[in-house]
Amino acid sequence: MNMFGRTAIAGACAAAFALASATLVAQGRGQAAAAPPAEPLSALAPENLSKPRPKAPFDLTGNWFVDTSSGPDAWRFGPPYPKLTPKAQKEYDTGMKLLKEGKVYKDDIGQCWPAGLPLIMTRYWPTAMIQVPTAVYMVSEFMNSFRTIFLDGRAHTDADVVVRTPNGESVGHWEGDAMVVDTRYFRGDHHWMDQGGASIPAGEQLRIVERIRLLPGGKQLEIAYTMTDPENWEGGWKSTKRFNRVNDIDIHEVECLPDLNDHLKSTRSKTQVQ
Amino acid sequence: MKRLLIASTLVVMFIAPVFAHHSPAAFEASKSITLTGTVKEFRWQNPHTWIEVNVPNEKGEQVLWAFELTSPTYLVRAGWKSNTLKPGDKVTISGRPLKSGEPGSAIFTSVTLADGRTLGERPARLGGEAK
Repeated sequence: MNMFGRTAIAGACAAAFALASATLVAQGRGQAAAAPPAEPLSALAPENLSKPRPKAPFDLTGNWFVDTSSGPDAWRFGPPYPKLTPKAQKEYDTGMKLLKEGKVYKDDIGQCWPAGLPLIMTRYWPTAMIQVPTAVYMVSEFMNSFRTIFLDGRAHTDADVVVRTPNGESVGHWEGDAMVVDTRYFRGDHHWMDQGGASIPAGEQLRIVERIRLLPGGKQLEIAYTMTDPENWEGGWKSTKRFNRVNDIDIHEVECLPDLNDHLKSTRSKTQVQ
Repeated sequence: MKRLLIASTLVVMFIAPVFAHHSPAAFEASKSITLTGTVKEFRWQNPHTWIEVNVPNEKGEQVLWAFELTSPTYLVRAGWKSNTLKPGDKVTISGRPLKSGEPGSAIFTSVTLADGRTLGERPARLGGEAK
């Protein structure tokens, strides 16, 4: 074979290798030649923050503490409770029976599991809220539980992609003088709607719609909750809570550490039932 | 030394339950105990502070009691500091005991220090007890 022949064969081999490599890479990506979609802007991207939007009716930025003036059970979302499904009723009945016996049933929060929505909002701890045009960032001092309400017009994450969490994924929008927030994608285990007797579980189907208003004067926040979870109760569970602005409290780092429970006999005693 | 006083008549004094992060189910909501003893440890930390107190029982044996308090965030607003208590301090301390009657654990409500000061947990506006 002459020089021309060897060069031609080498060139053909190189072209074939390049073609095969390109095909393999494309197959590896699962796409033939389509360009990947552009990544959406984050809530804190300057280009997102500066987009033209109507002025927000109010700004939640501040520290808030659940209003306890209605009584010591102000943090609770019931009673009354909605009609429970048989599965949830069984948990509730077990919790109430053990309560009468002075026993604790599945106290996951006490064992350092995150409280999750909605209870995290009404713990006797302040919640810091920082509002920007595209989102509200919330951090409860209790275990520094974190929550974001996206306000930039995005849809909820694809259910096949989202990571389920105790606080779920919150997407909000403005309706008149209210911020309406739809929260979905909760983790479905170790998550309760009450603590200390009324052991009503929250499942993966939990969905919470909050209608948030800043009351005149700006010192009180009202959240009207409608909560559905067909796995655990029928219809919408409604409750309204108020929160007071606290200007003399900052939130700090708060971790739930094992040594707390180690030093408390009650959490290690026979009063605990799992 | 006063050993153990079951003060069930203090119902009116302690109206609101202390909302610890642990379930209140195991604790009395309307009964209080008052004990006098010696501080073994005072741990100033989040989410809850605790006090361990050695209290002599009827046989003269030392029984270790752990009282669960709220966060320092609120305690400082009720007059506490991290050095308010130290090991060896004599205190008279009140709290809600376990319903089971098992000794050793209680939800804190108040303490009287050796200097006569009495400290509670937190202001009413932050979920403190109505008095």
